Amino acid sequence: MRRILIIDDEDDIREVAKLSLASLTEWDVLTAPSAKEGITRARDAHPDAILLDVMMPDMDGPAVLERLRHDPATQHIPVIFLTAKVQASDRRRFASLGVAAVISKPFDPLKLPGQIAEALGWPAGGEG
Amino acid sequence: MTAEGERVTRNVLLGSASRQLAAELEHHLPGARVRLAATGAEVLQTLRQGSEATALLILDDDLDHPPALDVLRQVRSAADPLRIPIIYCLGEGPRDAPRALVEQYGVSQMLFHPVECRELARQAAFLLGIPYWEEPRSATSSTEGNLAAELSSVWDRFAASALARLEVLEQAGADLLEGWLSPDLRQRAVYEAHRLAGSLGTFGFAAGSRFAREMEHILERASARDDRQALRFSELTVALRIELERAAQTSMGEPAEDSHPRLMIIEHDSELADKLAVEAVSRGMRVETVTEASRLAGELENPPDAVLLDLDFDTPEKVLGLLDRLAGGAASTPTLALTDRNSLTDRVEVARRGAQGFLPKTLSPSQIVEAAVQLLERRRDAETRVMAVDDDPQVLAALRTLLEGRRIRVCTLDNPLRFWETLEEFAPDLLILDVDMPHLSGIELCRVVRNDPRWSAEPVLFLTAHNDAETVRRVFAAGADDFVSKPIVGPELLTRIFNRLERSRLHRSLAEEDPLTGLANRRKGERTLAQFERLAQRYSQPLTLALVRPDGLRTMNAQHGHAAGDAVLRRLGQLLQKAFHSEDVVARWGGQEFVIGMLGLTRSEGVQRLAEVLEALRMESFHTPSGPSFCATFSAGVAQFPEDGATVAALYRAAEVALGQAKASGRDRVLPYGWSNGDRSPASVDVALAMRDEAEACLLLHALETRGYQARWLRDGNTAVQLLCGSQPALKPSVILLEVDLPGMDGLQLLGRLAADRVLERSRVIMITVPSIGDEAATALALGAFDHVVRPFSPPAVMFHIRRALESMKGRESEAAYRRVVTPLPGWSGARGLRQRAD
Repeated sequence: MRRILIIDDEDDIREVAKLSLASLTEWDVLTAPSAKEGITRARDAHPDAILLDVMMPDMDGPAVLERLRHDPATQHIPVIFLTAKVQASDRRRFASLGVAAVISKPFDPLKLPGQIAEALGWPAGGEG
Repeated sequence: MTAEGERVTRNVLLGSASRQLAAELEHHLPGARVRLAATGAEVLQTLRQGSEATALLILDDDLDHPPALDVLRQVRSAADPLRIPIIYCLGEGPRDAPRALVEQYGVSQMLFHPVECRELARQAAFLLGIPYWEEPRSATSSTEGNLAAELSSVWDRFAASALARLEVLEQAGADLLEGWLSPDLRQRAVYEAHRLAGSLGTFGFAAGSRFAREMEHILERASARDDRQALRFSELTVALRIELERAAQTSMGEPAEDSHPRLMIIEHDSELADKLAVEAVSRGMRVETVTEASRLAGELENPPDAVLLDLDFDTPEKVLGLLDRLAGGAASTPTLALTDRNSLTDRVEVARRGAQGFLPKTLSPSQIVEAAVQLLERRRDAETRVMAVDDDPQVLAALRTLLEGRRIRVCTLDNPLRFWETLEEFAPDLLILDVDMPHLSGIELCRVVRNDPRWSAEPVLFLTAHNDAETVRRVFAAGADDFVSKPIVGPELLTRIFNRLERSRLHRSLAEEDPLTGLANRRKGERTLAQFERLAQRYSQPLTLALVRPDGLRTMNAQHGHAAGDAVLRRLGQLLQKAFHSEDVVARWGGQEFVIGMLGLTRSEGVQRLAEVLEALRMESFHTPSGPSFCATFSAGVAQFPEDGATVAALYRAAEVALGQAKASGRDRVLPYGWSNGDRSPASVDVALAMRDEAEACLLLHALETRGYQARWLRDGNTAVQLLCGSQPALKPSVILLEVDLPGMDGLQLLGRLAADRVLERSRVIMITVPSIGDEAATALALGAFDHVVRPFSPPAVMFHIRRALESMKGRESEAAYRRVVTPLPGWSGARGLRQRAD
């Protein structure tokens, strides 16, 4: 079973994302409510991908990404940014950091699994 | 799956027919394993096999084979030293059942049907001493539909925090208006706006996300001194609050659809669309904006209550097609057209396809939205509305289902104390009252209604559980029209409601309808026109009034009998009715006179529409019982508010003048007020037609004459040169319709000649081209043609192009007139200087 970790400090967004993925796919969905907990969780739970909020109070997305890349246990895990920034310059900057995709907030809960699957090259519908 | 820590798993046995209940229960009780037993026998068997493993038994009254009560009896009579705790879910049992359950069988907890799963889970958790998990279930098997339901339950929990975020924004808005926003609050507000922008859309409130996003931008850019931005910001906070509060209501299951009409804004300018959306939300509408044509198809699946459509949203053909779908479809969605001065779309065509008004984009967003509100209100007036007052919510729900399925708008009220305000606000066509209610009885309400002059004629129908003679007598004595016993029997109630409605409608139609034609009578017509006048004034929209009289009706009556005259009047009434949609007013003013009020159309557009009706009437033939068949025509005068008359009465007189001219200049035509023929030199015709085919030219000449234009046919290129060119030309037409394939001298050559002779300075040329020859049109336009029409064409299409060309000339004339009027006042010299330079 594929396992995905959602790191977002906003309770509502985290919950909707979880609901969306848990309802529409067979993936195992983990969540973490802060950057720090997210990093720990990523190290312990070995997710196959991480959905990472860009704007969090304790550490922003790029900083989390850097920490993940420096840890041999997590450096290979593909990361998808989730951001409410709409400026093209911001999005280009994020994309240049080597993430698998940048998904905009607000997102459509019905389409989120498809967007993630597409970015990661996972089969649509989330089998396995 | 997730790391919830170690659990001591407790076994719960659920005796119930509901598989779903089991799944839900297991979700809310993470420390328990719920085993479902679908029959009584299965419950007993499971307990017998290993009763020590069952920590809790839940029995549902819906259990059978044997029934739940028997199971309970057997469980308690068995040797059961532990006496496992039991929760019993009671349905409709005997009155003393609860007591017996507790006293006799030691049931630990009792719940009543319908069982709320969370409540059941809470009780179970308490009895078992295990944690209760509040969050709703996100079942992996859930479909998209379930997902939507679950999303809304997530939203329920976060709506409050979204409102708290909004409060920060409101505070920031207030400070911005005061002119001082602290850096701290600004930063917090940016953060909250950003969060809302990122999350609201996810819950389906796309407009909310957009509003928040705009607020974020304003906060990032605006200085505290920027009043305009501060105002905009506070507008956005209001719009956002309405959106959020409505969202909160919706998820509480209140009938949001009823009170909040859906407006669709189809506008390619997203800035304008957003301004309109903010305004519309603040007026209590739900809004969808479509700014890209590609998104339209999907959005139209679910037709909104009203549409604002930008006529330049797409190509004219596509916009007209869109109108057909919206206004012409089965739903006939009321649609208002937003127009630019330079819009290429034919407004007459737009009106013909059912648009219910034109709004110039120069109006403020609030005026535009106000017009939509008015439109919806007028539309709402046309529906059948029933108001029901009953203290029993089940009866109200049943009525709602029954009537709304019949497209009747229903307002239900369970509190008679709010009766009067609701009655005034909803203005129902029929009232359904319950006899017995707390505080105020239906009989008292009915008496009050009957004593108010405005409502004394309102049909009132009573619902009651008592049908004894005394109640019936009291009900009718209070002024009821009819009486239906509870329980409600659908078909009977419907029949009675429809009978009542029909009778009151008949009453009203007798007072407002012309019996011969079925059109509005003068009384109704005058009232509607007065309303139109107010609307026209408020939204600076044109209002055009046309006066129509059949030609030679008296002669017709004398020759063929009065029945023949009546047939013409009736048919003319039908044609007018068909040509003008429900939002125009078509009334028979009396005798042989019809009045049409067209809101949003100009005089010349009104002439065009009436001319089309006249063309349709000409095609009809009428039969006399004795003799030969005959044809009919009419004459009409058209006047525009406020230019030709500042009141409806003055407008009527202006139209009468034009009608007189139409009769005098040969009947069978439609003339605008201000039309003149007398002082024209023979050279100044409106239109010259340089075309090859005589029959076609005749058709267009007739169409032009019908609309009060002077026109001449030029049969070949050489004749055209002779009459149009030279220093003293015999003809000085405003518009020249020029065919490419012309005998004598071909059209393009002729156009070159006209340009060389400076004819184009006083005349507009419209080229008639053939589509297969690609560059003709481009060549013609390059040579100085004003416009072109592609073959094959319909006369109305050509009329549109001619009208547009003539109107552009008029613009030039009035500009010239303006220049003449301006006198050299000191303050004006600057403006005059500018103007002259512009020349």
